[in-house]
Amino acid sequence: MIEVVDLVKRYGDVPAIAGIGFKVGRGEALALLGPNGAGKTTTLRILAGALSATSGKAIIAGYDVFEQPLEVKRRTGFMPEAPPLYDELSVSAFLTFIGRLKELPRGRLAAELERVLSVCGLTEVRKRRIGNLSKGYRQRIGLAQALLADPQVLILDEPTIGLDPNQIAEVRTLITKIAADHTVILSTHVLGEVLQICDRALIIHHGRIMLDDKLDQITADHGSLEDAFRQATREEPAACAR
Amino acid sequence: MRKMMAIFQKEVRIAFSTPVAYIALAIFSVVAGFFFCRLLADFQGRVLVAAQTRPLALKYLNLTDDVLAPLVLNVSVLLIFVVPLVTMGLIAAERRSRTHQLLRACPVTPFQIVIGKYLGAMTILLAMLVLTAALPLLLAAFARDKGPEWSTVATGLTGLFLAGAAFAAVGLFVSSRTKSQLVAAIVTFCILLMLWVAGWAAGDSSGLTREVLQGACATAHMRNFARGVVDLRDVVYYLSLTAFFLFLAQRSLAARAWK
Repeated sequence: MIEVVDLVKRYGDVPAIAGIGFKVGRGEALALLGPNGAGKTTTLRILAGALSATSGKAIIAGYDVFEQPLEVKRRTGFMPEAPPLYDELSVSAFLTFIGRLKELPRGRLAAELERVLSVCGLTEVRKRRIGNLSKGYRQRIGLAQALLADPQVLILDEPTIGLDPNQIAEVRTLITKIAADHTVILSTHVLGEVLQICDRALIIHHGRIMLDDKLDQITADHGSLEDAFRQATREEPAACAR
Repeated sequence: MRKMMAIFQKEVRIAFSTPVAYIALAIFSVVAGFFFCRLLADFQGRVLVAAQTRPLALKYLNLTDDVLAPLVLNVSVLLIFVVPLVTMGLIAAERRSRTHQLLRACPVTPFQIVIGKYLGAMTILLAMLVLTAALPLLLAAFARDKGPEWSTVATGLTGLFLAGAAFAAVGLFVSSRTKSQLVAAIVTFCILLMLWVAGWAAGDSSGLTREVLQGACATAHMRNFARGVVDLRDVVYYLSLTAFFLFLAQRSLAARAWK
């Protein structure tokens, strides 16, 4: 479903990602792990079509992200980190706006709106102004807009960051449900979340892939995901560059 | 088309749920109203003087040429100050609040974004022109003998619409190049100011330079409209300026600046 080949992104001379490559199968849930600045968000934004790459190739659902961006965007839902939203709009107005951009036909839009409002627990606040809602609700709205039009691939950038423990549990349960019948790629710092939601983890450090394996295998090889993370991110930039 | 309309409606909804559109409209109304009152007071003074000293000259004084034509010229200059307020946040605000990431992740092209946002700005501009149109209506309601010539009024408003459309395109392009709304407003104002003062500079030069500067002057192209004359050169000037800056804005979004 997702194929990334030798993807590079440079900001001037500084490489944000330095030639990464991986595949994600249909229905698989992949966690992108790594310390801050490792290149997780950059990778996700490139896959979502929100950022250009310096070089490399990315294919989603059989379409080239750089050559056929509209086809890719029709098949992906992207939830950016701390989802940026239009505070002046109501929840319904915002989701209707995104639904129209996602080419939902008029007849299907209302039903799809009801579905995501219900799935994300937003029905009660649908008429409220987004700017007046709590962080937890904002996170859910970010997820709801990604789910609109039922995309084949979901790209979620730190979906539980900044939430309180109850909200984290809610959003996690929600994503676990969604991951059952979608291809999901998410970035997170919370290793427990990975164990609950994902089948596989990919650890990035200084823009390079340090580890890519099934969670069972990682636990078997390294004792725990936490140990694997520590070992993989111990190397300094120079060592990585080699 | 549906996506463009979605962006357009979102722009209008947000513009009228924040103070920006209201502030721009309020500034516009107050200043345009001030110009109108001054021009009307001047006209009244001239009529009184003519009635006492040269009664024959009275027939050469009329509301259209002496009040409304200068008003159209003044309002065109006023647009230079107000349009940057309307356009400053069109794209800069999206980049600052990162909502451009949402737009970029949807199957929507830079062209659709540019046109949708441009139509949003034009709606506010249209509201300004409706307010301007109320002034000749006011004159017509109170004029005792001869009211304004409506064809001249319509031509003047068309000219203002075309000028506003061109200025909004400039503002949209500038807004696509920065994250700061303040920078967008200042740079747009500077560009529009240069298009205005090009006419002054033309007065001090000669030959080809003079021709070029006169041709580039945005307010000089308004004179014919103010007099009720539609000159194709003026129409082409404003439409070219609009198309050129919308094209630049579209290229800007498609290129790195948006990312």
